[in-house]
Amino acid sequence: MVWLRNRYLLTLGSIALLVGVWNIYVALNNDGIIAGRAVTADQQPVGGATVILSERSLLVAVPKGRATTNEKGEFRFTGHALHRLYLEAHKEGVGRMPPKEFRLYFKGQNLSIEKPLVLAESR
Amino acid sequence: MRQYPRWPIHLILLVVSALMLIPFVWVLKTSLSGENIFSYPPSLLPRDPHLFFYVDVWYTIPFFRYLVNSAVVSAIVVAANIVFNSMAGYALTRNFPAKRAMILLFLSCMMIPFQVTIIPAYLITKKMALLNSYLGMALPVCSTIICIFVFKASFEAIPKSLIDAARIDGLPEWRIVLRILLPLSKSAIATNVILAFIWSWNNFLWPLVIIRDQEMQTLPLGLSRFLTVVEDTTGALYAFCIMVLLPGLILFLLAQKEFIAGLTTGAAKG
Repeated sequence: MVWLRNRYLLTLGSIALLVGVWNIYVALNNDGIIAGRAVTADQQPVGGATVILSERSLLVAVPKGRATTNEKGEFRFTGHALHRLYLEAHKEGVGRMPPKEFRLYFKGQNLSIEKPLVLAESR
Repeated sequence: MRQYPRWPIHLILLVVSALMLIPFVWVLKTSLSGENIFSYPPSLLPRDPHLFFYVDVWYTIPFFRYLVNSAVVSAIVVAANIVFNSMAGYALTRNFPAKRAMILLFLSCMMIPFQVTIIPAYLITKKMALLNSYLGMALPVCSTIICIFVFKASFEAIPKSLIDAARIDGLPEWRIVLRILLPLSKSAIATNVILAFIWSWNNFLWPLVIIRDQEMQTLPLGLSRFLTVVEDTTGALYAFCIMVLLPGLILFLLAQKEFIAGLTTGAAKG
């Protein structure tokens, strides 16, 4: 078992192992699900708000999806293939939230947004 | 004999090492935080470190494709260097007419920069129909004179009696190199591997001249392409540099013992 202590084998083997584990993790978490909530400034859920998912290139924002929140203020996107995305939300009479950037570690990573999107009247 | 304390030397070496590491730390820090060198107040450690710049690099350009291209070219270069340089190194340990003139020719060729020979090299590669190919990219660095001399020095350090015994046993010259000299020259092989790998890995000008397809580009060419694609470059650019540096760094750290031994073989010979 001396060959197991070979530094070339150990280093390259560790890298291969790390890559393998990472790829398994990616395969298990790349359904492209984005889930979150939209609330008002006083933390009340906003039903019927429109949430827009977009991607930005050098010059323009390209919309990639649109969802409407349920009565609990929850929204959900499925099947996105982005690693850097923007979410914005608005509802007539309640207010809007300007585009907020979210960065992911791989394309299509499942994202559960902890902090809700806060819709506020724009001044 | 008076023994001087060693700690002042160690202290100086530590300070110098820290100074030499500053650029690397700066590159690593910027790749993790995107902070510019001019950011105030300056800090040694990154503020809010993250790996998203590495993700940007991975997806903005076909990084994996470039990595594979660089790896294939480097593998060809490393293999060719070991084969050709060991044969040339062995030839230079033997006596033959005009040996000194040949060594002088080699040494003088080392002084000609590659940029001077790039047009003939291009024309030859074109005639061989190797433009836009892995072999074409590897060809000019398939043998390097410095590495030939590394093998020569290593072979000369091996006792002549071993080679004579092998010859008496009827071994042909190529088997003497393969069976006797190369197994005893691991440090020279490691030196060849590291130097050939790094030269090939960092080669920019030659691939730029002969590669036309984006699919065939190597990492240094990818870096220049990356600069044209990405607008906010600071963090991502440094992340790219780290990603390009890493394979060479790992290889060097793994083989540094043999590398240093290979470079110093024959250095103390009279």
